[in-house]
Amino acid sequence: MVKLRIGYPEDPDYQERLAEFEERIARGEKIEPGDWMPAEYRRQLIRMISQHAHSEWVGMLPEGAWITRAPSLRRKLILLAKVQDEAGHGQYLYHAAETLGITREEMVEALLSGKAKYSNIFNYPTLTWADVGIIGWLVDGMAIKNQTMLAQCSYGPYSRAMVRICAEETFHHKQGKEAVLLYARGSKKQRQMVQDALNRWWWPTLMMAGPHDTDSPHTPLLLRWGIKTKTNDQVRQEFLNEHVPELLDAGLTIPDPDLRYDEKTGNWIHGPIPWDDFWKVINGEGPMNRHRLMARRRAHEEGRWVREAMEAYARRKLAQAAD
Amino acid sequence: MWGTEWPRYEVIKQDTEKSVPQMVGSVHATDPEHALLVARHVFVRRPSAYALFVAPAEAFFHVSQEGFKDLKAEEEGQEEPYWVFAKRSHRRSMVYGDLVGRFLAKGPQGAVLEALLQTPGVAFWAVPERVVVGTEPKEEVIESWFAPAKDKTYRLQSYYGLITAKEERHA
Repeated sequence: MVKLRIGYPEDPDYQERLAEFEERIARGEKIEPGDWMPAEYRRQLIRMISQHAHSEWVGMLPEGAWITRAPSLRRKLILLAKVQDEAGHGQYLYHAAETLGITREEMVEALLSGKAKYSNIFNYPTLTWADVGIIGWLVDGMAIKNQTMLAQCSYGPYSRAMVRICAEETFHHKQGKEAVLLYARGSKKQRQMVQDALNRWWWPTLMMAGPHDTDSPHTPLLLRWGIKTKTNDQVRQEFLNEHVPELLDAGLTIPDPDLRYDEKTGNWIHGPIPWDDFWKVINGEGPMNRHRLMARRRAHEEGRWVREAMEAYARRKLAQAAD
Repeated sequence: MWGTEWPRYEVIKQDTEKSVPQMVGSVHATDPEHALLVARHVFVRRPSAYALFVAPAEAFFHVSQEGFKDLKAEEEGQEEPYWVFAKRSHRRSMVYGDLVGRFLAKGPQGAVLEALLQTPGVAFWAVPERVVVGTEPKEEVIESWFAPAKDKTYRLQSYYGLITAKEERHA
């Protein structure tokens, strides 16, 4: 995948360079594409950034499904802009990954062949319009917590993509919150609809932060190299502390009978997360896994003639210029 | 011609007439004109812009702090103008290189060495001016390329004027 053969522990100067590299990170310096980095740093970043890019790319699908069915022109414009943003976020991230030596072609191939992972949250269906609101408020809310943390990342290109993305995600979060609050104080039918959406999206949203720290083998190294600056459980806790009081204030019921406020720490403590479901879905048995990949493959195929036409046009122009 | 991957172009964005062009990221495209169109969709969906420039990614020479000591001005070849960009600090930012200026040199390393005399930095990029293509700085071009993004519903967060459910209930 990556053709660069530098930064391996068997290299004679590895220990010395690793020490310099870790000192740079400790000083808060950003690592840039041409700089020396351990091969494992490069590998972990490619893994994380490409998964993140795929998530933006697949993430267009559940919401895109509602563009034609948006309840008003205003909501349609907002949703169109949001889905367009997700496409742009995918582009920023693929670009960041490319600076590490992987090609766009390799990443697209990994996604379309089903080899690459993307955020599990997008393997759930969007059944009603209220889901669009809940995704904006909660799913994007969790994404922002994670992305604000990644904006501090030690790798320059990833950090910059995150700063750009966070600025736009804030709009997504606000429009979702506005839509949910409106339904939460709307008609009985609207309240039922938004409660049902919350019931279905609550646990998958909490799982977005990833496995508990005790089950996350990569975390210590990722923290040491400043790829991540907070653990999965810290990110999840920040999300809970912000969103639980607001959801309760909106008169909604959170589907976790064990959820409680801990006076001592000031934290909202959740009950056991249904991880069995998470593993089932992430391993391909989710309600939408096949459908999502099929949709991406179809889009890639249906765009083929456009790519070919663009290429033919460019080739002709080059030939004309040569004449 | 390229398999399934088009060449990559670096994108340079100038926010206003008075601001400095900055490197914002890259896009894949078949030619510079196509690259400019894609760049508008990716980098100017919401922010203000005055001009966009693109240049093939492979035409850029890049050097970061670690490599400064090995820089050597080229002695062979024709002198030509280079655009040199500098990343000046490690602070959190959306952009990487700010344009330092145009420098006449026989090669990119010479151009970076010239730029280093003007400004410190933690990383530099240099690209020959002849491969840089941009939108024209004419009023009608700016209007048709960049104005629509500014009128977009949903553009600013303040559009929602959101108050939390709690504040509303107690009001």
